Amino acid sequence: MTVALIALPLVCAVLIGFLPLDRRVSAALGLAAVLAEMVLAAVAIVTFNVGGGSQFVTDRVWIPNLIGGADVHFHVAMDGLSMFMVALTAVGVASAVWTAIRAGRDRLSLYLGLLLLLEASLVTLFTARDLVLFYTGWEVMMIALFVLMGVWGGERRRFATLQFIIYSLAGSLLMLVAIAGLAVEGHSFDLGVLASQGRDSWWMFGAFALAFCIKAPMFPLHGWLPDAYRQSTPEVTALLSGVISKAGAYGLIRFAVPLFPATAYHWRWLFLGLGLAGLLYASLVAFRQPDARGVVAYSSVGQMNLIIIGIFVLGPGGVFSDNGLTGATFQMVNHGIVSLAAFLLIGLVELRTGTDALKSLGGLANRRPVASTVFLLAALFALAVPGSSVFISELYILIGAFGYQPLLGAAASLGIVLAAMYMLRWYSAIAHEGDGERVDATTPDLRISELAVAVPLLLILLVLSAWPFGVMERIG
Amino acid sequence: MIALTVTTVPVSWSAIAPEIVLLSCACVLLTCAIFLPQRLAHPVGAAVAAGAFAGAMVAPIAQWHDAPRTAFDDTLRIDAFGNGARLLIFAAGLLAVVVAWGMPHLADRAVEYHALLLAAAAGMSLLAVSNSLVIAFIALELFSIALYVLVAIDVDALPGLEGALKYLVVGSVGAAFLLYGSALVYGATGQFEFDLIAQSIRHGDAHGGVLLLGIAMIIVGLGFKANSAPFHMWTPDAYEGAPTPVTAFMSAATKTVALVLAFRVLVAAFGEDSAIWQDAIGALAVASFAVGNLAALRQANVKRMLAYSTIGHTGFLFTAVAVHTQAAARAMFYYLAIYSLMNIGAFALVAIRERELGRPVLIDDFRGYAYRRPLLALSMVVFMLSLAGLPPMGGFIAKITIWSSAVDVGQTYLAVVGVAATLVGLGYYLKIPFALVDRDVPIPESPYRPAFAVTSATVLATAVAVMVLGIIPGPLLDLAQTASASLIGR
Repeated sequence: MTVALIALPLVCAVLIGFLPLDRRVSAALGLAAVLAEMVLAAVAIVTFNVGGGSQFVTDRVWIPNLIGGADVHFHVAMDGLSMFMVALTAVGVASAVWTAIRAGRDRLSLYLGLLLLLEASLVTLFTARDLVLFYTGWEVMMIALFVLMGVWGGERRRFATLQFIIYSLAGSLLMLVAIAGLAVEGHSFDLGVLASQGRDSWWMFGAFALAFCIKAPMFPLHGWLPDAYRQSTPEVTALLSGVISKAGAYGLIRFAVPLFPATAYHWRWLFLGLGLAGLLYASLVAFRQPDARGVVAYSSVGQMNLIIIGIFVLGPGGVFSDNGLTGATFQMVNHGIVSLAAFLLIGLVELRTGTDALKSLGGLANRRPVASTVFLLAALFALAVPGSSVFISELYILIGAFGYQPLLGAAASLGIVLAAMYMLRWYSAIAHEGDGERVDATTPDLRISELAVAVPLLLILLVLSAWPFGVMERIG
Repeated sequence: MIALTVTTVPVSWSAIAPEIVLLSCACVLLTCAIFLPQRLAHPVGAAVAAGAFAGAMVAPIAQWHDAPRTAFDDTLRIDAFGNGARLLIFAAGLLAVVVAWGMPHLADRAVEYHALLLAAAAGMSLLAVSNSLVIAFIALELFSIALYVLVAIDVDALPGLEGALKYLVVGSVGAAFLLYGSALVYGATGQFEFDLIAQSIRHGDAHGGVLLLGIAMIIVGLGFKANSAPFHMWTPDAYEGAPTPVTAFMSAATKTVALVLAFRVLVAAFGEDSAIWQDAIGALAVASFAVGNLAALRQANVKRMLAYSTIGHTGFLFTAVAVHTQAAARAMFYYLAIYSLMNIGAFALVAIRERELGRPVLIDDFRGYAYRRPLLALSMVVFMLSLAGLPPMGGFIAKITIWSSAVDVGQTYLAVVGVAATLVGLGYYLKIPFALVDRDVPIPESPYRPAFAVTSATVLATAVAVMVLGIIPGPLLDLAQTASASLIGR
């Protein structure tokens, strides 16, 4: 199952990217691939044995004796967290592919091929139980992103891409040295084996955490983010914010903390402090952003920092809190879908008006009922309205934070309040008031084909809100 | 009455079989050149050279699993370490023959090109198994002189002459250092053979100061040949000026043989005193990382950029020498094999583009190339990602094995400097993939018509090899293991 989830997009990526196919054939094949991937992910969720730990395991020796007797394995498996990250990837890439086809990106075959390559690499890194395999997925993800950003982005894409590359690889290459160091000391690349050895090494933990915190991004490592989010195409920005930032948080949960539990415990205050600072700082900055993308971009930074708080708070007994972790993982799913929806919707506005500057927008709600409804729903989820799945996951994180340090919980709650303020400003600036200078009576409402992306995403959020324990019991 | 005793050295033909094959084929070629009609010169030259390289591979392969042995009175050491290097050199030679196929301006000097290539490979092959400072020097000169001429083989091209002159002058200085260093080591220990030098040092017979100076000068001499900063100044000009197939051969084979010699002489002869040279080699590695990668950022010419990149790669290879464990030797061997493949592939692609344009190739000349020749462009992406050390290419495995060997012996600083160098390296390696898919260039009506089939096939084959050896590195790592185990015990 896991292998099929990796192989399907990979094979299709090669086919679409390299065969001289007609534009329409590429589009049809790409769409078929991402839909099939979603079906596979859904089958995995349904057949998943709740409480059964890691499932859909494949474990083969890949490179015998790479370093100091340590074999590299092609070891993939899915537990609840991996599975929902894979599902999030499948949903995100599917909506990105559909958006790209609709927007008519030039060199479409190559573009879709890269999106599918991105999907294959993400599934690999979310399911890998071997450090080298994980690292391979991680780097291939970056390479695909570099090209997607650097070739199809906006006017300042070169600068944005360069910045992104430098940040990303500074983190990941140090992680590679740490992987080498781990293998030399632990004589294995296997996550389970290495985690059972329970190492305490500040430099290795630091290297892992740095790579993941840049990707998440944790304050103050978010310098690459504003340009990257503004210069990419809407669907790539949606994937960056919705899925790829989750790869950072996933890395912390899956690798950095289990491999170095004592080190993580020792340094928890650094992450809690920076996470809290990041949550409040990003929320305030989001409030001041002049463009729709900027608001959601900084809101995304804030949410990711909240997730990092959830990962590092301690529960009773001086171990990492279950409530915090449950909230963090569920929030990864929720926020993933929310930011996918938000950025794709911004993309639709940009398609109509050619801008996302809030001062040129406004008045979307006049004569465009469908669009304003969809935007409002997305905004409500983003600001964690009570009853929504986002509210539940944030609540879990806050309960964890209050349980550990009431002051921390109180400060983090402030971030949630700020979220309501900037999301309402965001919605209001787009939908309310008079028509903006780029909006007039002829600006069309959302079309059916555009709703085909937005509505399923919102439906998923509604399902998650109605049945949150479906996710939480699987994540365990 | 004086008794004259003539000591004859026992001859071991199998030990020097590759050199005999290569040099005799070179002689045959040069003799035939007198009779050959012009139009047959290139086909015959290429066929003989290819045959010679293939024939030279027989002995190293046949002896692969043999226990190490010395020959010619201890002046040669035939082991898997040397034989592996020989195989890499011959493979590089074979590829250089293929890449040169269809090269313009070579027609009237095709025989000389192939004969010199064979002579250079013979010298390198001898150097790879030399166990004596004297033999090492002779072999070094044999291949160096052949290379000086090869760089300038296109006598009508001024850059080639300029590059060759610089290479000659600077290379001679390097050789002089090596020779003087050898003399000093002989003065200090009374021995030329590596194992006997080691014995002398172990027994405390060596004269400390002179020995130290000798080792230092040998390291300088090796630094020149291995394109290590700060002895690299000939590299960019020679690489840029030489005909591209020659550059491809030089970058792969010279690097291989220089590193193999450096590893062998330092470990086999001065292994006892590794504290003396370990930090020196480490410092050269750091300097090479810095100079190569920073200078490459500023280059517009692709060959020059790759020349500076090769200086940067010396940093990684010298990291392995500084570490000098069995794991490091294995990593270095794997690195050299992958490095040879990706470099020759990249230069072959540059050669294709050169022929299309009829002038030196700039990075900008690759803009939009992916829409004209998608498979070649994809190969170039593979080479650049592999040179940059990203998975799933061979360059990634090469890097992680070198780094882990450094971390293993506590030389973590070399790994960390290597990370910084890799990061800088991305700044120029990624320029080419980005240029390849540049969207600002209009899509051509139809792709270029297929041309340069042989060279293109070489490019594709090397790209596939670089990728496959990155995804399935096991077999090559096993071979590297055998090679490294034949030189050092742990």
